[in-house]
Amino acid sequence: MTGQKDQPKVVIVPCSGIGKTYGTVSREAAYDITEDLRPDDTQLVALSMLVLGNESARSAIAGNPAITIDGCKLACASKMVKESGGRVAQEIAVLDVYRRYKQFKPQGIAELNEGGQKLAQALAEEIAVTIDSLVSEKKGGQNG
Amino acid sequence: MPEYLETRVDKFTFKVATDRLYNAEGIWAKVEGKLVRVGLSDFVQQRSGDVAFAEVKPAGVVVTFNDEVAVIETIKVNFSLGSPVTGKVVEVNPTMSTMPEAINQDPYESGWLAVIEATDWELDQSRLLKPQAYFEKMKLEAEQEVKKG
Repeated sequence: MTGQKDQPKVVIVPCSGIGKTYGTVSREAAYDITEDLRPDDTQLVALSMLVLGNESARSAIAGNPAITIDGCKLACASKMVKESGGRVAQEIAVLDVYRRYKQFKPQGIAELNEGGQKLAQALAEEIAVTIDSLVSEKKGGQNG
Repeated sequence: MPEYLETRVDKFTFKVATDRLYNAEGIWAKVEGKLVRVGLSDFVQQRSGDVAFAEVKPAGVVVTFNDEVAVIETIKVNFSLGSPVTGKVVEVNPTMSTMPEAINQDPYESGWLAVIEATDWELDQSRLLKPQAYFEKMKLEAEQEVKKG
């Protein structure tokens, strides 16, 4: 039986920076991926749950590759996944993505402006490509 | 490697290189023969946040004292930098177009912005702050920022 439980998952861990525009972009991108673009292949794990040592969050990152989305150079999401024993398949900094999409200037905190929403979408679409590659690797590994 | 004056305010450590002069906004000017290299102080780069883009006036442009020499966009703010020297821009740090985060990583060395051929350095330097004077000003500003929260 190949139910939902056996489906290869990629864990998405966004920045938890509240009150920071780039943190909000990271979370919006994470919602786009896990709710719309690749809901069957991904699992959203809140950084705060890892910080608190939540067993379910730790177990998700222990058994699956993680993609971290950091809102600033402190890179809390990437650091926390590594410290929790997870494998970071890709570290993404929102600022690096913004440098490639200068036309999408993010503003706003609780609610992003249009530029911020477009930047989050662009980021989500880039991450979706990585997810496809990770899932196909994982499926290949399971079948081989 | 320059020597530094250093202070800690709250959880932040700020350095002021002692081998150059500063304008009131924290733009440094380091004389190198007839040329003057310019960049941002450590305090300004820390207060402004991670740099996304740095647009520096291209080589050949003439700038006057306090006129815009660069525009910086960070994750927090966009701001214009007034030139600490009058003269012609003769070199722009090529790193600024590819890796402007050098400003955050190394503001006094590899994060420099431009080199300007000064037309009247004697006059310009008389209008700039010595490292100790800028250090005291910066420390006061940093303490005020911390109080504001």
